[in-house]
Amino acid sequence: MTGPVWQVFRFELRRNLRRRTWQLAAIAVPLLALLVLEGAQGLNPDGALPGVNLPGITAPGPGSSGNGQRGLVDETGLFPGADDLQLFADEAAASLALERGDISSWYHIPGDYPESGVVYQLMPSLNLSEMSRGAIRRHILTSLADELDSSLLARLERPLRLTVLREKELGPTRGPGPGGARDELALLVIYPFVMALMFSLFMTSGYLLQGVIEEKETRVIEILLSTLRPGQLFAGKVLAYGTLGLMQLLFWLAGILLVLQRLPLQGALAALAQFVLPEGALPLMLVYFVLAYLLFASAYGILGALSASMREGPQFAVIFTLPAVIPLWVSTAFIEAPGSPLVLALSLFPLTAPLAMLQRVLISAVPAWQIALSILLLLLCSAVLMWLAGRLFRVQTLLSGRMPRLGELPGLLRG
Amino acid sequence: MSSAEAAIVARDISKSYGRTRAVDGLDFRVERGEVFALLGPNGSGKTTTIRMILDILRPDSGSIAVLGQAAGASIARRIGYLPEERGLYRNAPVLEVMAYLGQLKGMDARAARSRSLALLERLDLDAHAGSKVRELSKGMQQKVQFAVTVLHEPELIIVDEPFSGLDPVNTQVLETLLREMRARGVAIVMSTHQMHQVEAMADRLLMISEGRQKLYGPVADIRRQFASHALLVEGGGDWSRLAGVRAVEAGDRPGEALLQLEPESSPDSVLAAIAAAGDMHIRRFELATPGLSEIFIRVVEGE
Repeated sequence: MTGPVWQVFRFELRRNLRRRTWQLAAIAVPLLALLVLEGAQGLNPDGALPGVNLPGITAPGPGSSGNGQRGLVDETGLFPGADDLQLFADEAAASLALERGDISSWYHIPGDYPESGVVYQLMPSLNLSEMSRGAIRRHILTSLADELDSSLLARLERPLRLTVLREKELGPTRGPGPGGARDELALLVIYPFVMALMFSLFMTSGYLLQGVIEEKETRVIEILLSTLRPGQLFAGKVLAYGTLGLMQLLFWLAGILLVLQRLPLQGALAALAQFVLPEGALPLMLVYFVLAYLLFASAYGILGALSASMREGPQFAVIFTLPAVIPLWVSTAFIEAPGSPLVLALSLFPLTAPLAMLQRVLISAVPAWQIALSILLLLLCSAVLMWLAGRLFRVQTLLSGRMPRLGELPGLLRG
Repeated sequence: MSSAEAAIVARDISKSYGRTRAVDGLDFRVERGEVFALLGPNGSGKTTTIRMILDILRPDSGSIAVLGQAAGASIARRIGYLPEERGLYRNAPVLEVMAYLGQLKGMDARAARSRSLALLERLDLDAHAGSKVRELSKGMQQKVQFAVTVLHEPELIIVDEPFSGLDPVNTQVLETLLREMRARGVAIVMSTHQMHQVEAMADRLLMISEGRQKLYGPVADIRRQFASHALLVEGGGDWSRLAGVRAVEAGDRPGEALLQLEPESSPDSVLAAIAAAGDMHIRRFELATPGLSEIFIRVVEGE
């Protein structure tokens, strides 16, 4: 690293390491999460964390909410009671049992259920751990398909789990996870990793954008440009903020892995602890972080150079951030149809590739060529944006007090 | 003095932004050890000229040699620049910002810090070394910026409106610092609208308007160039009866008279007439030369 680039790198790194928001995001958040979990563990006499019943997840061991017993009021006459579902004659009886604490909630299957498919769950107050679709779903399925054997029932419950394999592979590279809730478990596992990547990426690039605009707004840029070339300034910044982002990502990953591996978890979280991170996932995550960071840093560098104020930059940043989070909006597609064209497209499109591919490698086998192509496209896109940043992160734009008009951009690019 | 020895030699430099010609064929040189004033109305091309000197912008035509080197050479570390629109990293400590900018100018970390502290002490800001920039008053921030400009002991200093916003005491402190640097052979280019500062400090000036050179040369010569055929006098007696005096007007100050001379008379002949009169005395006798403010207005409005 040459002198001026190193000076910029060092100054920006030190300045931002002292930034409270960065310290809070990078260190305090995972630390706080650990402390909360440790605290909760201390409160539990069994030395295990209280179970959390998450929607759709069958927790190993005894039920974790209330006394484990729920009620059922069936107006269709199609469904009997079950071990964990006490049948009541009418709503009043179920309400009374709830008031007495005999049950923690009750399901109401109205008379028009066969046509509407609507089932209600009633509880004294909204309680996340009480909300459960799994028990009533299984009960309804079992009752409706009374004549079917258990394997057919299982297929009815979960028609398929698509695993994409290379042609010569003999079987899936990873077997099913613990319990019957592998899909939901996978979602639970990938979210922390994907969020860690996403937040590190966006926060770091956001800081870079702020940093560039701050220098423009305060006019420090004029002093800097009388000493440095714009390229040197940009390179120092990209390296410094990239290092910050990488540090934040590593802190968060360490926090997540500590939670998953060190603490005795119970309920659905216990299943998480059994989740084995696929081999190569972490290095791949770092590769995607670096490439995606270069892409976003270049994009935000361009926006910073073009923006005249702290208000303008973030508004335009949405152009890049919104597409990037699409893979999170359609997470279920990654589980239910990992080989679908949508998933493939999101995995290859450079803006969505980091979050999309990370989800895929965490929950299913991904053909190597797809990973390679995705990285190649991301690399190419980053290179193009870095070139554009090099063209636009220049004296004319940095010293200008206004955002250039669209028609002026070709001229600026030509130099 | 050769080009290599001059601080700046600009030859026929021009710069356009699109169809707007910001600077049009400027020719000037700045010597080491002088204060050179760059004057002109707003939008006249001063900032563009400064940016070309600093090699932030390249001229479309013509050439500039700074400290004996052509544009493109690495001379940034030998120049100190105080821009008109000022600012520093608001959330960073003063000393850290100064040390960073000093290091960018090639100083090692220790030297940058010790020299920063010395300058802060000189500017009566040593108690604020650890304060964040945003905690300082506007005047204090301006002094810090000035300190950053001279921190690395540059051979050429370019200051744009260096005294704006400063109280008289701090203005004097900065003036003294600039005079000391001039005495050490540092070339100082000063762009300002405060004409009394130019009259007080500048050796030579360049006045530009609409990118073109209007006036260039020693300040005293330019003032003489604009002098009318008149004398400013203070003393006693009837000035109107002096031979060679066409008219007498009241001066700007009490007791001051402006003597308009006949075309064929001269200051010498008027002085001789005063001496010959016997009943007149003088406390002050000088050529009536206009101030730079008046010259500035006349040049700009005369276009």
